[in-house]
Amino acid sequence: MTSVAHAQPHAHGGGDAHHAPMSFWRKYIFSTDHKIIGIQFLFVSLFFLLVGGILAMQIRWQLGFPAKPMPGGGLLPETMVSDGHILPEYYVQLVSMHGTFMVFFAIMPLLVGVYANFLIPLKIGAHDMAFPRINMWSFWAALLAGLIMTASFFVPNGPIRSGWTNYVPLAARPDLSGVTVGQMLWCISIVVLGLSSVMGSLNYITTIINHRAPGMTWFRMPLSVWALFITAILGVLALPVLQGAAIMLLFDNVLGTHFFDPAAGGQALLWQHLFWFFGHPEVYILILPAMGMVSDIIANGSRKPIFGYHSMVFAIIGIAFLGWIVWGHHMFMSGMNPTLGSTFMVSTLLIAVPSAVKVFNWMGTMWRGNLRFHVPMMNAIGFVSMFTIGGLSGIYMAATPVDIPLHDTQFIVAHIHYVLFGGSLFALFAAMTYWYPKMFGKMMSERLGKVHFWLTFVFYNMTFFPMHIIGMGGQMRRIYDPTIYNFLKPQQPLNEFISYSAFALFAVQFLFAFNFLWSLKFGKKAPQNPWDDNGLEWSLPNPAPHGNWEKVPNVYRGPYEFSAPEAGDKDYLPQYTKLPTDRDPVPAPVPAGH
Amino acid sequence: MTATSSTPSTAAHKRPNYVMIWLYLFVLTVAEVALAFELPLSRNVKLLLLLFLAVWKALLVALFFMHLKFERWRLRLIFIIPLPLAAILITAVIMEKVF
Amino acid sequence: MTHATQTLDQMRPPYPAEPGSGVYSSKLGMWVFLASDVMFFTALIGSYIILRFGAPGEWAKPGAVLNVPLTAVNTFLLICSSVAMVKAYAAIQDGKKYFLRPVPGKTLRDGGLKFWLLVTILCGAAFVSVQVVEYIKLVGHGFTPAGYREGSLLAEHAAADAAKYGAAVAGLYGSSFFTMTGFHGFHVTCGVISMTYLYITKVLPEKYSPQDYRGIEVIGLYWHFVDLVWIILFTIVYLI
Repeated sequence: MTSVAHAQPHAHGGGDAHHAPMSFWRKYIFSTDHKIIGIQFLFVSLFFLLVGGILAMQIRWQLGFPAKPMPGGGLLPETMVSDGHILPEYYVQLVSMHGTFMVFFAIMPLLVGVYANFLIPLKIGAHDMAFPRINMWSFWAALLAGLIMTASFFVPNGPIRSGWTNYVPLAARPDLSGVTVGQMLWCISIVVLGLSSVMGSLNYITTIINHRAPGMTWFRMPLSVWALFITAILGVLALPVLQGAAIMLLFDNVLGTHFFDPAAGGQALLWQHLFWFFGHPEVYILILPAMGMVSDIIANGSRKPIFGYHSMVFAIIGIAFLGWIVWGHHMFMSGMNPTLGSTFMVSTLLIAVPSAVKVFNWMGTMWRGNLRFHVPMMNAIGFVSMFTIGGLSGIYMAATPVDIPLHDTQFIVAHIHYVLFGGSLFALFAAMTYWYPKMFGKMMSERLGKVHFWLTFVFYNMTFFPMHIIGMGGQMRRIYDPTIYNFLKPQQPLNEFISYSAFALFAVQFLFAFNFLWSLKFGKKAPQNPWDDNGLEWSLPNPAPHGNWEKVPNVYRGPYEFSAPEAGDKDYLPQYTKLPTDRDPVPAPVPAGH
Repeated sequence: MTATSSTPSTAAHKRPNYVMIWLYLFVLTVAEVALAFELPLSRNVKLLLLLFLAVWKALLVALFFMHLKFERWRLRLIFIIPLPLAAILITAVIMEKVF
Repeated sequence: MTHATQTLDQMRPPYPAEPGSGVYSSKLGMWVFLASDVMFFTALIGSYIILRFGAPGEWAKPGAVLNVPLTAVNTFLLICSSVAMVKAYAAIQDGKKYFLRPVPGKTLRDGGLKFWLLVTILCGAAFVSVQVVEYIKLVGHGFTPAGYREGSLLAEHAAADAAKYGAAVAGLYGSSFFTMTGFHGFHVTCGVISMTYLYITKVLPEKYSPQDYRGIEVIGLYWHFVDLVWIILFTIVYLI
């Protein structure tokens, strides 16, 4: 169609014609280009994902085979592993750091640090973020935080032992936990990470508000951008609370303050309230971007507009809004005021509604669509089904009486992993495959991607579904050896089964890693719009050049015009394509002299 | 350079008298210290009055020095949104402790 | 020049865009940052309120441990610096890039941006210095983040008059006082450093103009926020 061909906005061209040529350091290391920063986040976060996975393998060895020496255990120092057996002190460090690395240094930066940075300017039609240098600092701060956290493994007494949630008094008392420098490093790392997060979120919010291309009205933005916008607002308001709490915990550890010390009049529960007041918005930070990107991918894979675009937007806003008043559901067993507990129960049950709206809308999008089962679509559909299961287990736990026996059991662990792995990580597999061509100019192997998806899906469910069962059977969370309890012994075969499945699941991820790395060099060269998608980013060559467009494109329609009659013989109609019936949008006036 | 046709970021307004605001702030501060130490009121009344004075001063700074009085609602909202969140956290935890 | 036309033309990114917020990006970014800073102080100040409400004993009486008159003067200093900041902002709006200029018929000369921003910086630096001196004195008397140091003057006073000195919850008192005022002081210090940097690199070489004084407005917002937090802190820490 000639109109499609005409409307191709010009790319910025081989040139950084406006800028002097940059050194390697400025171009790839200390870059202020949002795409490079996104890719930097990607490599660093994938590394931490691997670290988190290795920690998980050790946990699963211990839980599945408490009596047997761990292969490779001899490599670790005597303080961690003795005679090949993981020591209890080391085991609690494993669970604490697995959670910490996965939440703060893998999933959050993968969803936000990578995709907010990479996608936002491309999808709204901006040259770069509003504050490119602050963006660069945000990456380096996150990396510094990750290094500080990793360093805690190498200090005397090792890393934290009090769970990624660091409940006091254990976390505030080195005499109780045995951890000294490690706790300090955790707190400092979190404060630095908070800075990185706030700087990043600032950027995303300002860029989305002020730097949208002409015609890119709020309700023409893709859902991935909406989700990242709302996530950034959550981040900017929630992370500082954690920073404050971490500082107070740090001071209790090193300055002798008494914030959480009941003996001096402090309140141990204060920590839990502060942590979860941050923690609950945090889990929505960990899922909303995934939901947004999945919406884009499912619409693409169904060749249909997203079902109920406006309700999807309001659902995101509703989830974010309600997310501030549910934090107590993490504390039903803490001994808190039961009346307050009831209010948290109601609000938590309520928050299921917007989430359910989204699930039904994804299904409505796929219904009678011209489905294309490409790898991102398969992972996205996997997301929907796994997130639904995770959400359903959430309903169980939201009801306080049901939560009372389930709290701090493997049931909770199952829920966490269904939403974080079944949810966020599957969405990330989808997103990484989908935007790989935009990042690197190559396609990942479709066949390897499908094999990886199916194997992951099967082993993932084999690993985490049985955890619901052993949790209901009473196996506690973070426990070193379930077999010390007679009532748990009958479940031990299930623990073994889970461990075997987990090892297989971990092994299968090397398929993805291989696919990812191998395709960088040997992957098929990507066409400009490999998925026949409508977003602005596909108007640029792959990989997208520095500065994105020479002149930002005009936007003529929403992002999900698939199978639109106006498109003629194509089943997609990009946002930037000007049809004869379209009028140019009127931009805000550009100041003279630019 | 004259303004172009788009709406200005802030409503055209007369510049506030900053010296007057400074005077108000000075008087309010003196009032606070006097109230805290000199006046023989009950503790709770003192608390309420002091908080009232503090909030008044804070509003003067926010509305006039930070020009929030003259900015559009969208900008004011950015500053306002954290406040109910803070209130929720503090109220919920105090209620919880009282139990 | 009225507020309406200030930096209007600098509001847009230098390429066509949707109208957006109608406020230039650095100002929007600073407001969002201030919202995040509100949440940070919420954690610290909120915890103080929560701990004080639930404290198992009486808190120390105002003025018993802390030097209220000195701090009242310090508060006044910070308020003065805030006024100086807004005068600096008004000065550059009017194009007054200079330091001081005589006004015909008046004895007092008219201050420009260079004068008022310098006053802001000096008052801010003075505030921090007074706080540092206050801290040194307090620690010398025995008031530490952990409470009243054993064997110190304050510990003796507290033993003699437990109610006045809030001996039962001295630990909480010290913890909350030093954390809240310490982080506030840190914010003030960052502000002073930033303003000094701007002063040297942009104000002295007269890089700001009535058409573009975004840096002044943005740092001004930060500075007023810091003053605002202190107004709250002074009341609830020193006077209650």
